[in-house]
Amino acid sequence: MKDLIKFIAEALVDHPDQVSVKEIEGEQTSVIELKVAKEDLGKVIGKQGRTARAMRTILNAASTKMRKRAVLEIIE
Amino acid sequence: MEFLEFEGKTTEEAIQHACEHFQQPPDNLEIEIISVGFPGLFGLGSRKAKIRAALRSGPELSEAPGMDADLAARGKEILSRLLSLMGEAAQVQATLEGDRLSLTIDSPDAGLLIGKQGQTLEALQYLLTKILARQSKKKLRVMIDIESYRARHEQALVQLALKSGEMVKRTGKPVTLTPMNPHDRRIIHLALQGDSELKTMSRGEGLYKKVVVYPAKKKESPDNSPAA
Repeated sequence: MKDLIKFIAEALVDHPDQVSVKEIEGEQTSVIELKVAKEDLGKVIGKQGRTARAMRTILNAASTKMRKRAVLEIIE
Repeated sequence: MEFLEFEGKTTEEAIQHACEHFQQPPDNLEIEIISVGFPGLFGLGSRKAKIRAALRSGPELSEAPGMDADLAARGKEILSRLLSLMGEAAQVQATLEGDRLSLTIDSPDAGLLIGKQGQTLEALQYLLTKILARQSKKKLRVMIDIESYRARHEQALVQLALKSGEMVKRTGKPVTLTPMNPHDRRIIHLALQGDSELKTMSRGEGLYKKVVVYPAKKKESPDNSPAA
């Protein structure tokens, strides 16, 4: 799941080397923290949060398959 | 990077000379304008435009010419990668026609990949469009389909449009549909376009607007500017 977000984020930003993804696993829900360069923040959020929403939708689909829940947090 | 100087009557002409020299489109050249040309009067006081140009190095160059042919392959590769990272064992097929890239997913998990009201499919399509647009710098329309969901969905929308149209005609009252994305709204508008007794318009803000179907005769019906 972490790799999925990492792959998407790296493909969207100008500074892929500054993308870092951390997964904090909980019993049922894991939190995925995405950190990007300051200039790239807008790129992973998108117009009216559209890109962030798309990533969350895909993450949900992926986590359903693994019978887990995952939440994506974008960190400044 | 090695800069060379080029001259011409105008800067455009100078740039053209540079392109001919390097055998590259202007997008691949780093161009610096030294002086703007001045046509002068009867050949008096005319000055040539001067530019300096060099081949642009870096990734842009390598993906410049053969890129288009690769777009289909690239789209396929990225989507396959995404799906495998999602834990899907899926096959992807891609075809490119002009600026339209169509990708078809073949997966046992179609339902999951389509998502509620096609949400997941929409998200995949949106992200892939963004990723490819970044890499190719060209406008590209990406369409992802799975188990001919698109065709089925379109049919369902047309049915919905016709049903709502019937209802409006019967009751004489406008009917408002659920919020839809531009593509879906277009299908509704087109489905009812030929019906002279009905009018349709989109209402609301942002990406997801509602389509209102209302009788054409009534003058007191909403007369805000009909948005697309």
